[in-house]
Amino acid sequence: MAETIKYNEEELVQLLKTSDQSAFEYLYDHYSGALNGVIFKIIDDQHLAEDLLQEAFVKIWNNFSSYDPSKGRLFTWMLNITRNLTIDTVRSKGYKKQAKIQNSEIAVSHTSNNINENDKFDALGIRKQTMLLNEGQKSVIDLAYFEGFTQEEISKILGIPLGTVKTRMRSAISVLKKLLEPKN
Amino acid sequence: MNKEEFISSGLLELYAMGITSSEETQIVEEHLKQFPELRQELDEIEKSLEKYAISNAIEPSSFVKQNIINQVFPQSVKKESQETPVVSINTNTKKPFSLFYKAIAAAVFILLIGSMILNYTYFNKYHTTQNQLAIAQQKLDEQESANQAMSHDLDVVTDKYAMPVVLNGTPHAPDALAKIFWMKNSGQVYIDPSNLPAVPAGKQYQLWGIVDGKPVSGGMIQTSKGVYQIQKMKSFGKVDAFAITLEKEGGSPTPTMDEMIVSAKM
Repeated sequence: MAETIKYNEEELVQLLKTSDQSAFEYLYDHYSGALNGVIFKIIDDQHLAEDLLQEAFVKIWNNFSSYDPSKGRLFTWMLNITRNLTIDTVRSKGYKKQAKIQNSEIAVSHTSNNINENDKFDALGIRKQTMLLNEGQKSVIDLAYFEGFTQEEISKILGIPLGTVKTRMRSAISVLKKLLEPKN
Repeated sequence: MNKEEFISSGLLELYAMGITSSEETQIVEEHLKQFPELRQELDEIEKSLEKYAISNAIEPSSFVKQNIINQVFPQSVKKESQETPVVSINTNTKKPFSLFYKAIAAAVFILLIGSMILNYTYFNKYHTTQNQLAIAQQKLDEQESANQAMSHDLDVVTDKYAMPVVLNGTPHAPDALAKIFWMKNSGQVYIDPSNLPAVPAGKQYQLWGIVDGKPVSGGMIQTSKGVYQIQKMKSFGKVDAFAITLEKEGGSPTPTMDEMIVSAKM
């Protein structure tokens, strides 16, 4: 099991480029929950979500050579693949797009308990502090980051001015960034 | 855009969230090349978003991982399948399949038990029926032979040439009676012994014809199984009298006159 091994992102990417199975399992163990959570923000169907997660990981694997670390972190790249795949599926299946503005309670109840214990960050602490995002900030971040809506679309969905969307987004990210600081 | 202008534009955040247009993406990537220190800034934004995503994680079902591994590393699946002769192509549907097979196995088992019960029941019924059939067959056979005997008896009695002769009981057996049907055309003799007394063990009735003053054996009367049927005896063309004596089994060359049961003069 990969639990005893801890890769930094550079090592992980290097191993993945050599088609290393344990590296791939490590990737799955660390990010499947987060990516599944993203899919779940867009669709409610668990079976479909897991099908899509499977499809996404296969796609990540098959297209790994196209990942360019100079353009961003691995997870960002994976999230984009997963999100685009999910959105494409939802559109092709005639899903009605609905902005799901979850309140903090639901978000916390959906939060995974299964975060790898070797991770150096305190999941509970993060969760607590994630709740420091106010409703407005949270809805903007979720719609953009998890569901891939542009600022203009978010403005329409939430019925708030574009400027407000931009302000909330920046303030939300600065809150999240501050959460990282003690760990760095 | 210089570095500060770029940072304050908020494009880096949008880029990190993957919601920039293609033109915006191009701008960001150009700036990243131009100002490598921006990579640090982007990295922090991405990390903070990544942690946010992880804090919103929902663990998928445990079998999803194996499905993906099987799909991505088919060789490892092959290796597994060599070690254990499980059809590994179906591993991704293992759960529903094993359930499916369990259901099939259960159904087969129930069918088997049901079949056994039916077999047992029908075998028993078959046996009973077989026995009943045998009994019915036997009854039918008996009836058949009784019928045949009766129609034979009737044929004899109703023959237009049949001359009935009644042999009356002697002082030895005053209640005894026998009837002879003598066919005048052919000389055939039939006897109806149904009113003769039961034969003691080891004895048998013998018919005699008195021809020219001498007794001539007319044959043994079959009274086996207590059935007294009209039966054919030896033919007599000419006879003065008929008599039946009780003789030892198989008959005697001459009649035991003391044991004469019935007689009739012609």
